[in-house]
Amino acid sequence: MTKAKTTITDQPVTATGTETWQPRILVFACNWCSYAGADTAGVGRMEHEPHFRMIRVMCSGRIQPAFVLKAFEKGADGVLVSGCHFGDCHYIFGNERAVEQFDKTMNMVKLLGIEPGRLRLEWISAAEGIRFAEIINEFTEQVRQLGPSPLSSKRLDDLRIEEEIDG
Amino acid sequence: MMDAGRHPLIEVITNAEVTGMSGGPGDFRVQVRKHPRYVDEEKCVACGQCVEACHIVQGNEFDYNLKARKAIYRPFPQSVPAAYVIDMDHCKKCWRCVKVCEPEAIDFDMPARDYEFEVGSIIIAAGFQEFDASALGNYGYARFPNVITSLELERMLNASGVTKGHIVRPSDQQTPRSILFIQCVGARGEGGRPYCSRFCCMNAVKDSLLIRQHDPEVEDITILYTDLRAFGKGFDDFVRRSFDEQSAHYLRGRPSKIEEEPGSQNLTVFVEDTLEHQLKRVPADLVVLSLAAAPSDGAQALAAMLEVGTDQYGFIARRDPAVSAVETARDGIYVCGSAAGPQVIPDCVAQASAAAARAQMFLTGSRSADEKQEVEPLDLSGSPRVGVLVCHCGINISGVLDIDDLTASAAQIDGVVVAAEHQFACSSVGQDKLIELVKEHRLNRVVVAACTPRTHEPVFQETLSGIGFNPYLLEMVNIRDQCSWVHATQPQEAQQKARTLIRMGVARAKNLKPLMEGKSPMTRAALVIGGGIAGIQAATDLAWQGFPVVLVEKTGELGGRLRAPNLKYLYPTMQPAEKVLKQKLMRLKDSGARVLLNSEVEDITGYVGNFEATLSGAVDEKIQIGAVILATGADLYDPAGEFGYGRLTGVITSEELEQRLCHKPAAVQVNGAPPRSAAIILCVGSRDEECFSGCSRYCCPTGIKQAILLSEQGSDVTVFYRDIRTVSIGAEEMYRKARGLGVLFVRIPDGRKPEVLGTEKVTGVRCYDALLDRTLEVEADLLVLGVGMRPLEPETSKFHDILKASLGLDGFFLERHPELAPVETSVEGVLIAGTVQGPKDIVDTVAQASAAAAKATVFLAHDQVRLNPTVAVVDAEKCRGCGCCAEICQFQAPKLVDDGSGVFIAEINASLCKGCGTCASWCPSGAISAQHFTDRQVHAMIDAFFETEAAR
Repeated sequence: MTKAKTTITDQPVTATGTETWQPRILVFACNWCSYAGADTAGVGRMEHEPHFRMIRVMCSGRIQPAFVLKAFEKGADGVLVSGCHFGDCHYIFGNERAVEQFDKTMNMVKLLGIEPGRLRLEWISAAEGIRFAEIINEFTEQVRQLGPSPLSSKRLDDLRIEEEIDG
Repeated sequence: MMDAGRHPLIEVITNAEVTGMSGGPGDFRVQVRKHPRYVDEEKCVACGQCVEACHIVQGNEFDYNLKARKAIYRPFPQSVPAAYVIDMDHCKKCWRCVKVCEPEAIDFDMPARDYEFEVGSIIIAAGFQEFDASALGNYGYARFPNVITSLELERMLNASGVTKGHIVRPSDQQTPRSILFIQCVGARGEGGRPYCSRFCCMNAVKDSLLIRQHDPEVEDITILYTDLRAFGKGFDDFVRRSFDEQSAHYLRGRPSKIEEEPGSQNLTVFVEDTLEHQLKRVPADLVVLSLAAAPSDGAQALAAMLEVGTDQYGFIARRDPAVSAVETARDGIYVCGSAAGPQVIPDCVAQASAAAARAQMFLTGSRSADEKQEVEPLDLSGSPRVGVLVCHCGINISGVLDIDDLTASAAQIDGVVVAAEHQFACSSVGQDKLIELVKEHRLNRVVVAACTPRTHEPVFQETLSGIGFNPYLLEMVNIRDQCSWVHATQPQEAQQKARTLIRMGVARAKNLKPLMEGKSPMTRAALVIGGGIAGIQAATDLAWQGFPVVLVEKTGELGGRLRAPNLKYLYPTMQPAEKVLKQKLMRLKDSGARVLLNSEVEDITGYVGNFEATLSGAVDEKIQIGAVILATGADLYDPAGEFGYGRLTGVITSEELEQRLCHKPAAVQVNGAPPRSAAIILCVGSRDEECFSGCSRYCCPTGIKQAILLSEQGSDVTVFYRDIRTVSIGAEEMYRKARGLGVLFVRIPDGRKPEVLGTEKVTGVRCYDALLDRTLEVEADLLVLGVGMRPLEPETSKFHDILKASLGLDGFFLERHPELAPVETSVEGVLIAGTVQGPKDIVDTVAQASAAAAKATVFLAHDQVRLNPTVAVVDAEKCRGCGCCAEICQFQAPKLVDDGSGVFIAEINASLCKGCGTCASWCPSGAISAQHFTDRQVHAMIDAFFETEAAR
């Protein structure tokens, strides 16, 4: 296990001098199941892709379209919404509300021209550390394949460069 | 486990045993010896450095030696207390661990400690141990490596266990392509144990589903069973899921032997398929033995010490197994869970609460935790001054992440006035450091970057509260469980992630608002609705503890289905129901509960602590109560038109048979003479998608009891069944007795129904017997239909409407959580007891009623209800009164109220709100804000993520 060097800065992580693009993924998790599932992955030391950041809310029903849209607006390449399996919700039916919110969000995301593959809804229980790790790996790979989000500054920068070349 | 470990009124003494007991109820003296763990629990911070240092490797008992541990170890990851223990049988005292232990917690000379406790009551919850499979030679356990036990499988299936959820063969560590489960190993007559272990059927079904999920390489799963005992609420639906998903192939039969192929070590199981009438050789790469539960080794000695005795199998004896699951031979000593015989988890939890309810009768003095001393709140106003404390967690975090870099980068964030680090932030030294930082830098926001808030937020919140710092101004950042532990191989990415997470945490912290815990008064009285055995028990338990209780019964008599002439004898003890009821009614009378007969509850308004119930009938009054226990019971299925019921004479329901037994002389007659032959058909109105898809639980033992009674009076009896589910105490023995008496049992094949013969009166029953592979026709002068339970109407709908407590798909009231909260509903302060929650027999009903009483005292013990401040609040200016929030809330917290000018706006009752925040995201006008998880806080975190990490 090597220790990170103290010289790391907020600059992008680079490999062999050239920039390797990695997706930036925001994960919303409910306190009782999916956040706990991520902890379980930790207790079991289940290695998984590190390119996501997590925001904890009490219930997946709290995750409104504005949160997801904001993330895309700010440049997220993927957003994962997660909660308890049906029948397991700490608040009985909060996750069913989450589905309705999610469907609305998905429609808006499509309208905005963002690939639907960048947004996903998953149910992960507190015990499913492995499932959490697998979903993160799989979703990260999926987003990686899609490349930078059309709204990300990376894609906009590329466009600008293309324009300069063309112009 | 953690809740118990943290509770101020619970002292947990592990590694200890009871060495003596004297005294009596209300005044026991108990001697306890605590064996040394050689690690000071107070000092140990569970960092794990000692484990790294230790070089002695042993099999880990928790993982059935499938995994290794060191001589210094934690028995399992979530153990309480979170401290290490040394296995002195193997420790070489090399001092390596002592040298690396920074808190100096290790003490090789730690002595055993003796305690003496003065207690009012004692609860035995000593559990069971698994049957020793090597005692049964024909299964080859311990001889063949690829024969494992269900518990060993369980450890493999555990995501954080031995193989991280994947199944491997012990012989070659390969994924088995075929797995075969053998049920009832050491149970139901095998290995000298006649009883059923209750949990194994569902466990095998669950495992088959889990294996399918984890290991697609597993091609075949076979379960060898005798009866599929899916007796609990929702169990049958679970089995159906297994059928639908074809997770396993179910084969009815018990194997005679298992052979191992030399070399490959593959196994062959010899079994007679009793449904297909074939001897089969089933090949299997892995065989799993579903082990019976056996009494624990110490049970006999413990029972002797406490003078409660054991039953014929060695479990703690129950005084009255037909009525009470928790009473032992001695007052003041109670038993719960599998110490008294095998149980499934929901029943264990209900019994645990029931035992607590009974135990409370002998307790005096302080009921509630000592009120925390009010501390003068610190002035935390002004612009945010954030302090960040980064924890090393020994090497758990610092082994992967560069802590200096994290503190340095945190210090640069706008609003952060200090960033510090500590070896163990949660240790008492670490907590002192936190206090020092707050005081020295006049912090008004604190960010702790350490482990998960789910376990440690309460610890830091408590510390901060102790100095008057509002605990809701703390934010925890999880850089251990969700960073260093899972990205150890990518330290640079992990470092980047940790930095960002801290930035996001600071962003949220800056937007946190101080919240004050509210309080609302508690009316320390309860209402029990329904005067059956459940209502009687719940009211008695509460009233004995001194709480005013009103018991409302709509008929003119208490007792429900126990009342004559409804039920004659209780299984398995054959006590007369009348006698049991009489005893229960005497206890109720002595308890001082107020009983209102011929009365009904018209309406209930309010919320936990402050309900108002409108009563009618014997009295017309409104009463104030703090909690409501619903015990209105269930109805029995009406088989009109089925099996000749209502058309042929001699066809009656099981209830009608009981009623006839109640008459004097207690004999069942058909046309003036005892029936020469009788048939009993079970599962009428149960396990049937069209009426009730679940199992009614009580009918198998009741049917067998009735078969015995009829057989003893000279009738030839045949019982038509689908699976015999004799799971309650003593029921399996009744089943054997019935077979011994010559009662014929005929298995009804799936999807078919027996045919009733006769034109005016019943003459017989015809049914294909799968076990004999031919159609049987038996004579019957009397046909008894074992009818299932169904929700009682209109009561169920009425109280669902009044109380807004949720109903399940089966129409019974839905418990808040089947394992964790079996007697609570979606409405706080409203509890359910007995068959109102789903079919169950008397002993389970009584246990559940006591559990409901115990849960009611959780509220009634305090004169105030503490209100969680992390709830939703409405901005009256923005609310348009659309009522969307009221529509979606499962807890009835939002309500539309007239604001005084005829305009309706929403108001959220903080006593009812659980703080999920769903209404806040649902509100179309943005008027609702979820405190502590506000839009502003979430948006700030999103901003911080993408601002920190520039495009890559």
